[in-house]
Amino acid sequence: MRRPAVIRIGICLASIAILTGAGHTQTQPRRVITVVAERFAFTPSEVSIDAGEVIDLQLKSDDTAHGFRIAGVTNVAVPKRGHPALVITIGPLAAGRYPFECSRVCGAGHNFMRGALVVRDKKGETGR
Amino acid sequence: MTTQNMKFESAITWGFVLCLAAGASAQTPAPEAGYPSTGPISGYMELHFNDVEASDPVVDFHRFVLIFSHSFSPRIRFLGELEVEHAVVEGLEEKGELELEQAYLDFLVTRAFNIRAGMLLMPVGLINERHEPPVFQGVERPFVDTFIIPTTWFEAGAGVHGEVGRGFRYRAYLTAPLNAFEFSADEGIRNGRQQGSEARVRNPAVTGRAEFVGVTGLTLGASAWTGTSGTQAPPLDVKVSVAEADARYHRARLELRGEFAQVFIGNAANLNRAIGLQTGVSPNVAEALRGFYGEASYRVWASGPARDAVAFVRYENFDTQFRMPAGFVPLKQFDRDACVVGATYYPDPDVAVKIDYVWQRNQSAVVRAPNSLNIGLGWWF
Repeated sequence: MRRPAVIRIGICLASIAILTGAGHTQTQPRRVITVVAERFAFTPSEVSIDAGEVIDLQLKSDDTAHGFRIAGVTNVAVPKRGHPALVITIGPLAAGRYPFECSRVCGAGHNFMRGALVVRDKKGETGR
Repeated sequence: MTTQNMKFESAITWGFVLCLAAGASAQTPAPEAGYPSTGPISGYMELHFNDVEASDPVVDFHRFVLIFSHSFSPRIRFLGELEVEHAVVEGLEEKGELELEQAYLDFLVTRAFNIRAGMLLMPVGLINERHEPPVFQGVERPFVDTFIIPTTWFEAGAGVHGEVGRGFRYRAYLTAPLNAFEFSADEGIRNGRQQGSEARVRNPAVTGRAEFVGVTGLTLGASAWTGTSGTQAPPLDVKVSVAEADARYHRARLELRGEFAQVFIGNAANLNRAIGLQTGVSPNVAEALRGFYGEASYRVWASGPARDAVAFVRYENFDTQFRMPAGFVPLKQFDRDACVVGATYYPDPDVAVKIDYVWQRNQSAVVRAPNSLNIGLGWWF
């Protein structure tokens, strides 16, 4: 069945309006950064983001359950291998270095599982 | 019924029991996906069935390990590992052992520099610091990590550790040395571990490891240990050094790992004579021990969340009489190699049901190295 020309034009105009409107209101898509936990290391063990940036941090385990803690920011359980990755939102944060660590005892080398979230300002400095 | 048939039936029975146990756990409704509960105590356990040629098969609750942790503050932390080996502890260690494998305080200063003191695992090799049963293939630990690197190798001491960036990290400790008067021809330096028990420290040992973990799935490591192991009475200094290099890489379903280790024992001739004078028997300690292995494992099957199966093959070469001091003849039965083929079923990433067969041979024309069938159940919690 053919639609009347007026309706077709209306649909086109509405589509254009939605698309251009979305361009004005939609925020930049968040970066997704993946960190893999495995006895006894995070890879990568250093993650850099910009001050004020909001990211999605995808946390995966290659073996047992781990924890992921940034003091004052987050403390979550990282699911075991075979379970869906955990995605958490990080930020916005002020420039600085934020150490992260495994917060669930995962074996003899548990205390080696540490890393850093590096938040840089526009000059690329961490401020501390 | 022949002895071989009885042993075969015994192996089948134990394998069936372990599979039933694993099957039961696989039927258990999963906890909230990936969020298992754990308390202040963690640990791991290993139950083994070993059917070694020319011996009666044995069932052994090989390791029962409890790990305790406590944070005094975000920067001061305790971790301890208490182990019962072979289930029963009797006087003079006729049966099992009760061991304090780790008990240390970490003083976390910066990511690159932290201080650790207490009972420490020597940072040597792939297995010594990473020995939870689900993370290595095979019922028993590799021979190289038993006869050349004496896992589990722990001593009292203190040192530093940290990550200097881009995936490079290190640890360096000052610890008690080995007791050379306990070295032997077949087990090398293994019985020389003082294990932090009133350990003689006339000459402390130094050990360290550099490691690269900057690429997902890849671990490259090199370790060293050196110490003068001797006594004032009789006066004898025996310098012992261990050099080791290892690599581990996994991508998708495939994992590859390899390790090379060599032990150097100085003054070995005088050590043999001194022990011979004390005991009446020369231990025939070598001046060099060497071992290496390569292993490939493949995740052959994965079914639903977190359940899978791995097949593996490992070739090992290990010689505790690799180079002898002048005047001493190597015992060829201790120049050994082994091919280990097996599989591991994981009903959960923390539970491993293992089976393997070990073909062993040596260079002796008289003494034959026994083959063995091994079945194991190991778990981490």
